[in-house]
Amino acid sequence: MFGLEITGVTKAFGAHKAVDDVSLAIPQGEFVCFLGPSGCGKTTLMRMIAGLETPGQGTIALNGKDITRQPANVRKFGMVFQSLALFPHLTVGENIAFSLRLQGKDARQRKARIEELLTLVRLPDMEKRAVSQLSGGQRQRVAIARALAQEPPVFLLDEPFSALDAKLREEMQIELRLLQKRLKITTILVTHDQREAMSMADTIAVMGEGRIQQHGGPLSIYRDPANKFVANFIGLSNLLPVEVLDKDTVRFGANILKVASTPEASRPSTLATLSIRPEDIQITSADQAQDNTVACKITFVRDMGSSVEVHLDCEGRDLLSVVQPRDWTGAGAGDIAHLRLPQNQCRVLAA
Amino acid sequence: MTDVAADTRPAEADPARTERMVLTGLLALPALFLTVLSLVPLLLLLQLSVAHHDEGGLWRPSLELTQYAKLLNPQFLKVAAFSISLAIGTAIVSVAIAFPAAYFISRMKRRAQVAWLVFLLSTLSLSEVLIVFSFQVLLSGAGAMVKTLMALGLMSSAHSLYPSFGAVQACLIYVVLPYIILFLYPAVSQLDDDIPAAASTMGASPVWTFLTVTTPIVRGPLLSAGLLVVIWTVGTYLTPLVLGRPQNWTIGVQISNAAMTTGDLPLAAAQAVALVCAMVGLLGLTRWLSGQKDAQA
Repeated sequence: MFGLEITGVTKAFGAHKAVDDVSLAIPQGEFVCFLGPSGCGKTTLMRMIAGLETPGQGTIALNGKDITRQPANVRKFGMVFQSLALFPHLTVGENIAFSLRLQGKDARQRKARIEELLTLVRLPDMEKRAVSQLSGGQRQRVAIARALAQEPPVFLLDEPFSALDAKLREEMQIELRLLQKRLKITTILVTHDQREAMSMADTIAVMGEGRIQQHGGPLSIYRDPANKFVANFIGLSNLLPVEVLDKDTVRFGANILKVASTPEASRPSTLATLSIRPEDIQITSADQAQDNTVACKITFVRDMGSSVEVHLDCEGRDLLSVVQPRDWTGAGAGDIAHLRLPQNQCRVLAA
Repeated sequence: MTDVAADTRPAEADPARTERMVLTGLLALPALFLTVLSLVPLLLLLQLSVAHHDEGGLWRPSLELTQYAKLLNPQFLKVAAFSISLAIGTAIVSVAIAFPAAYFISRMKRRAQVAWLVFLLSTLSLSEVLIVFSFQVLLSGAGAMVKTLMALGLMSSAHSLYPSFGAVQACLIYVVLPYIILFLYPAVSQLDDDIPAAASTMGASPVWTFLTVTTPIVRGPLLSAGLLVVIWTVGTYLTPLVLGRPQNWTIGVQISNAAMTTGDLPLAAAQAVALVCAMVGLLGLTRWLSGQKDAQA
């Protein structure tokens, strides 16, 4: 295969399995995000791809060639670290030229490449600056330019924007995405920020407990989470315990609900979890009550201006609905609301 | 409103002034001690170095430079040059050993780190006297070192390994090593592990990374550690006297001989002043050199 192929990779630190039997294929030129909470193994997986850790089991292959045992300094995958790891004793230009010097490029070639890269990351004429004289965003760009200097086959970024303020972070995300599209370089970004992952990646690998829980396009993961972990981690989800009645009917407390479809493995009378996004729940008045409607008590209303968050108590379960201000009836805490759960938005996941 | 503001202003300035006064008061005593304990002996030494030497170990106050003129004799200059080169040699070797040692200790597991640091701290309780005489036993013809070398076939006949230059150098390095490891440990343990990792993703081998990335980053502490060793060992007295031949004797032994054997206190004082001046010159030179490098960077 042309691209990066990870097969059955496992890494344990003592008794703790940081990465547990991960397999993933990344086609050449694709932008993938490893998304997950801290401690889910995403950084360990990236370090194994870079060659900074050796897998306990499994193989990593680049363009069909096994590179599992190849050390980092032979792989030469450009990597941007969370701490950036710029060399404080070197200037901006010398930082960028570090890999070029090792490749044996002469002074003229190095200078040309430094200028090209500094233009690429929009920091022209910064070559002679000391790293300590740069702002956070400028350092970020120098780290990106340094990692790209050697024209790496794979470009790795480990939470590179976590130290930046919100505005600069958004700017850098857009810049990086444009840069990646221009260079068509296979890129892996590790992040715990789902907004970052959703807005930048071609595909997202959601990681939890050392495993890839789901791998797919941002929208398909959001619209169709594979399990409770993904439903909970990507965006907000209401998760309700239900009993499966048949392939498109479940029972939630005293309510019978029609759902999109139940997991193939679940037979009637098994327990499952119903997942529905807050924005998919419709609040209706009692006289409009139709199928798939449950009555709940409003516990708390938060008007955010652009949307209204309604917290509800439904059969002893907390539920959240987000409605547009124009659809909001103006009810308050303690009122009874009728929630319509559209059939095609109700997904049933394993319990 | 303006009246109120005008009233509060002096009241706001007061706490700062009180704090400054308290600080000055607290620092006055140590400052006085430092001045008295370092300046007074130095001035006495200076006074003695320009005094007139009388026979029989006596001297009377004077203002003559005859003692300094005596320093220009080749014999003394040779000893001075030897002392300084011995100190610089000790500094280079001990820092070259201590730096990687401190680096590896700082990368060990917490428990192993603590064990190493406690061990190093406990070796500091050995006095130089104890170490020098232990080296004497260790390096003697019937000592463990000779027996080991014989057993390994590296030595054909049993003979004592001291007095010799090697014995002096080895003992001095042994004495300063734990200090230098402990001195470098804080700087080395603060090094970001991502930096060598970044170098390796750019194609640098571990050795190249250590030489061109890790070492330059801690250049300042390494230089300070080296200077510290030079200052400590340039005046060493006991180690060369016990483990060295007369040609390995240092300026310290020379000063002691002038003062105790020849009874020429002004000459001994002049030699000591010359040593202090050489050290101040070395400090200035190092500062200037590191300043030049910083300006380049």
